[in-house]
Amino acid sequence: MTVRFDDRRGLNEVGNLIPGWKRMRRRGAASATAIRMARVLLPRSRKPVSLFISLAGVLIAFALNASPAMALSLNPDAASPGIEDANTLHWILFVVILAVIVLVNLAILRAARPRTRAVSPKPGRKVSQVKLAIGLGVFALALFVVATVFSDKSREIPAVNAEPVAGQVKGKPLEITATGSQWLWRFNYPNGAFSYRRLVVPAGVTVQLNLVSTDVIHGWNVPELTGKAQAVPGKTNEVYFRADDPGTYTSRSSVFSGQGYDTMEIEVQVVPTDEYEAATIALKKDIQDAQDKVEAEFKASKAKAVVATAEGKKMKAEINKDDIESADSQ
Amino acid sequence: MSRTTSYPQTMPPTRPEISSDGPGSRPSRWAELASSADHKDIGRLLIATSFGSIFLAALELLLMRVQLAVPENVFLKGVTFDRLLSVYGETAIFLVALPLIIGLLYYVVPLQIGSRTTAIPRVGQIGLWLFIFGGILLYGSFLFTPPEAGINPLPPFSDATFTPNNGVDVWIGSTGLITLGLLMIAIDLLATLHNLRAPGMAWRRAPLFTWAGAIVTWLFVVIAPIFLAAISMLLIDRLYDGGFFAGDAGGSPILWQHLSYIFFTGVYMAVSITFLAAIGEIIQTFTGRELPRKAVVWSFVVIAIVGTLAWTQNMLTAPIGSGWKYYGMLMSLALIVPFGLIFYNLISTLGSSDFHMRAPLRFALGALSLASIGLAAEIAQSTIAVATQLSETYDAWAATHFTLIGFVLFGGFAAVTYWYPKMTGHDLNEDRAAKSFGLMFVGTLIALLPLFAAGVSGQVTDSYRYFSYEDLGVYNAISAVGTLLLFVGVVLAVGNLVKSRSEEPAATPDPYRGDSLEWLALSPPPAHNFDVLPDVRSTRPMRDIREAVIRRDVEDAEAESAAQPVA
Repeated sequence: MTVRFDDRRGLNEVGNLIPGWKRMRRRGAASATAIRMARVLLPRSRKPVSLFISLAGVLIAFALNASPAMALSLNPDAASPGIEDANTLHWILFVVILAVIVLVNLAILRAARPRTRAVSPKPGRKVSQVKLAIGLGVFALALFVVATVFSDKSREIPAVNAEPVAGQVKGKPLEITATGSQWLWRFNYPNGAFSYRRLVVPAGVTVQLNLVSTDVIHGWNVPELTGKAQAVPGKTNEVYFRADDPGTYTSRSSVFSGQGYDTMEIEVQVVPTDEYEAATIALKKDIQDAQDKVEAEFKASKAKAVVATAEGKKMKAEINKDDIESADSQ
Repeated sequence: MSRTTSYPQTMPPTRPEISSDGPGSRPSRWAELASSADHKDIGRLLIATSFGSIFLAALELLLMRVQLAVPENVFLKGVTFDRLLSVYGETAIFLVALPLIIGLLYYVVPLQIGSRTTAIPRVGQIGLWLFIFGGILLYGSFLFTPPEAGINPLPPFSDATFTPNNGVDVWIGSTGLITLGLLMIAIDLLATLHNLRAPGMAWRRAPLFTWAGAIVTWLFVVIAPIFLAAISMLLIDRLYDGGFFAGDAGGSPILWQHLSYIFFTGVYMAVSITFLAAIGEIIQTFTGRELPRKAVVWSFVVIAIVGTLAWTQNMLTAPIGSGWKYYGMLMSLALIVPFGLIFYNLISTLGSSDFHMRAPLRFALGALSLASIGLAAEIAQSTIAVATQLSETYDAWAATHFTLIGFVLFGGFAAVTYWYPKMTGHDLNEDRAAKSFGLMFVGTLIALLPLFAAGVSGQVTDSYRYFSYEDLGVYNAISAVGTLLLFVGVVLAVGNLVKSRSEEPAATPDPYRGDSLEWLALSPPPAHNFDVLPDVRSTRPMRDIREAVIRRDVEDAEAESAAQPVA
């Protein structure tokens, strides 16, 4: 009987099993590991087609995922320190997830390849389930640690600016209240001014946004500055951010709140400090003007009413006294 | 049909020990099915309802994706979209996923443990009818007001102040009836599992799917009452001016999120466990090898407990204490261990054995592939920093849909095609199954992968339109095409299940040489399941029976040759 020399199966020239460590030494440990990894990863045949499509699909997905929106960063316009950390974590997880998906699907493809020869069960290659669980546990724990570090960093209140702007207590963030109502956001500034839909904040100033709601749950959502946070009636949800450069960020509420949900937009304008102060003063002045206008109109209409009453009295006097009495009795 | 031909008509339906006075008049097949308390009839009705509802859910999904295919589309009105969305969510969870897992378990598990009936069949029968009325209530509401408060109607929006029409009441009534009905069936199954196992069928010898049945029914018995309590509170809030979820009246809107997400997360885990177990059975049968039972069963237990405890993973943007958020993160990342262990064992067992690729295995591998994408993507959704960016976007939607379409649709078709010969008495058309699988698989990938990109670009869910300046049109257009392929694939696959019953040849009791006891019963099983029950002596009772038969034949042949010595 002739035994074919088959180093790949670990047999030597006379058909005896070569010990693993010797096999490794023959080709060098690194190349042996590389070959083994390639054999695990690479499918040997293009069939079954339907499963191979999954691989193509995964690749397309990540090509799609990576191309337009996030050529370099998953959230390219991140403008607050906390969001930068969220971005970094997202990148790490993106790579991890990609690796997990590719590995699992390649393993499925390899397991499902059509057999050209009988596969003998390999009872000797049993993997200890406990060791496997420990390995996975270490992986999960590592992910948890990384995620905790970056989540903590992203939740930190950005360093408060030294020079307070108008309405800001020194050493504390500038407090602005955002109130969600169906289907409009209202922003109350410290000086008593308020605006709808558009929030104006100063650049380089740490802002504390108190999210409240007057009716249903609304989703505060500005990915570049704060990320998402729910505004729940009866509770105050606080988010902090500091945008260092001027810019405009437009977004939409993210929790379904009824039929006007699609139009519930948020626009955040980051402007230089002096512009912010001017803007809030202007807002306050506009509000005061509007109030004055209302008052003036009210006064005018009241004066008109006085005139009208006087005229009415005059007319009444002209009317026959008996007629009035008869009308009253009715 | 075949039931009436294979068995004498004098056989009383459930209790063979009571003799009847001759054949008598037999009710029609439909009347028999409707009045039956037999676990196989109830299981088949649940599975059939589920597959009918898959068609509805896919249609609703398709309509929504068509509306979203281009920006500022006017195909559907806003309120119509909201109604489709709400009904789609309820259909997918309460009329597809839950009845499919409970129906499969209720059909198969009593057969696997060698039981002739269930422990309290009338409870199961009442459960079936509660479930059916729940489904009728939901779809009957299209005659007046369907639910329109979203997939999970969060109070105070779902309160009477903000949604005064009866849509939310319909949602409460139908989900309540369905959950209560399925809970009763689960209780019947649990009683059966604990009382009616065949002699020798110790827990250590119970098949994987039976273990999944025990774990899933226990889980459902825990989470279903929580949900029933929550919807009762919502109903009191709506109809009787209660204040459980009113922020200003001493209640809390956050409470609803806690209660409802405990239930929905538990359902997610129940679905995962059931179909991973079904895939495990399929791989065991087709490779002829056993999975490491201890590791897999413990993984199921861990998924059930830790997975359900990870409910705050859905609430990372809500105003709750940060302790809750880190807890949710830890619990959901801990799930990497059991899911990884099961995936490893399933794939490595398959990879190191010989097998023939058949329809159930094809669907099972498709399920593993799609679910791996969804479960991996959930890692990002579980971390606080990334969740503030990506939750409530189509990234979260795509992750959930990959897992649930993977498990429910592909795992469901895998399980149903696997037990199809047992349930119907006919083989399945493999060719058509393979084609519909390909269409569904490609459709799912095309429909869902672009949505990851759309979510990262910031598209929020539940909105009936988006605007052209948001630059989301490409992703949504591709997704609409994929959803159409998925829909066609689903229709073909369900059609194949219906058609094969009349076109394919009759199946043998044990078409795959399976190892568990359901293959001992005839196909389809008679009302009393088994004529004789074996003593179970190992985890593979059917293999023992086959070996015993061969041994007996050999002994017979030897005895024969000994009696007639060769001259």
